Amino acid sequence: MTAPDVPLTEDDRVRSARRAALRAAGVIVASYIPFGIAAGAAMGATSVDPLVSILSSPIIFAGAAQIAAVQLLHVGAALGVVVLTVAVINARHLLYSAALAPHLAEWTLGQRMGAAFLLADPVYALAAARFDAPGGGGGDREKRAFYVTAGLTCLVGWTALLAIGIVVGGFIPEWVPFELAIPLTFLLLTLPLIKNRAGLVAAAVAGIVALVAHGLPLGIGLMVGAVVGVAVGAIVLNLSERRVVDA
Amino acid sequence: MLELVAIILGGVVTFVTRALFLVSKKLRPPKRVEKYLPLVGPAVLGAIAIPGILAPRGELSVVDTIPAVIAAVVTWLVWKLTKQTALGLLAGLGLWWGILAVMAALGVQR
Repeated sequence: MTAPDVPLTEDDRVRSARRAALRAAGVIVASYIPFGIAAGAAMGATSVDPLVSILSSPIIFAGAAQIAAVQLLHVGAALGVVVLTVAVINARHLLYSAALAPHLAEWTLGQRMGAAFLLADPVYALAAARFDAPGGGGGDREKRAFYVTAGLTCLVGWTALLAIGIVVGGFIPEWVPFELAIPLTFLLLTLPLIKNRAGLVAAAVAGIVALVAHGLPLGIGLMVGAVVGVAVGAIVLNLSERRVVDA
Repeated sequence: MLELVAIILGGVVTFVTRALFLVSKKLRPPKRVEKYLPLVGPAVLGAIAIPGILAPRGELSVVDTIPAVIAAVVTWLVWKLTKQTALGLLAGLGLWWGILAVMAALGVQR
């Protein structure tokens, strides 16, 4: 611990950003334990080579898309179908990419591409919460330290959980209910990002529309919900700004 | 081998979706749109979280939805008071298990 009256050097702040990222991402990885192991067990039960299933983590690094891809390979789907399915399920990352762009403007191309590789849902959520906060997550080195540590922690943790699931799958008793762990984790990732009424409306509308649309194929319902949520949130944002101007 | 090729191509398309707006500084969302970008996080993550809370097993039903919503509200309250993600998750999940146990003891079928 540093006494509050001693000014922190940049190295101190970078280290503290790294620690904060490790802590925040560690909690996320811990909350993924049931889902990661269950997903691994599901993958292990398919005809797909276990090594390929494990490699899907560092290669695709997006849980739902990995499960879908392995499942499709298991039932003998064509290559194009597998790739298209992954693309559709992961289309939401386009929005993350756009939303993160202003924060990463000063990074080099290589650094931005590295960031893109690590841009999974929880990594976006942790980075956005920190970079959108007052102070913007500090200088560029602090931001990179936070982002890379959070991203790698999630990547390594997720890969390990999946591998454990593939190896020990079938040992978890079915009566232990865990299906709420991931939704609650995502709720906790959403809350820090809600800064105003427009954000609250965007989240609520997106969630309800996604639920109504969840019967659509390939999980497109999620994307439909997200787009409608952003649109309605934007309308609320414009209305509230007008009210401020009028007042 | 074909399996690995499919996974690698899946990785490539995923990377493209994540990198598209980060490749070139010219390919950035227009200024007009920029003020709406903070809505992306709540919307996408809300679209993942809320259906899972309202319908934890894919369908809305009293026995599934009500315990999950109560757990979600408590998760939110604990997070609001403590700002600790881990505490929020433990409180919500713990309460949910408690409700399910009480329901099981009362003979309520899930």
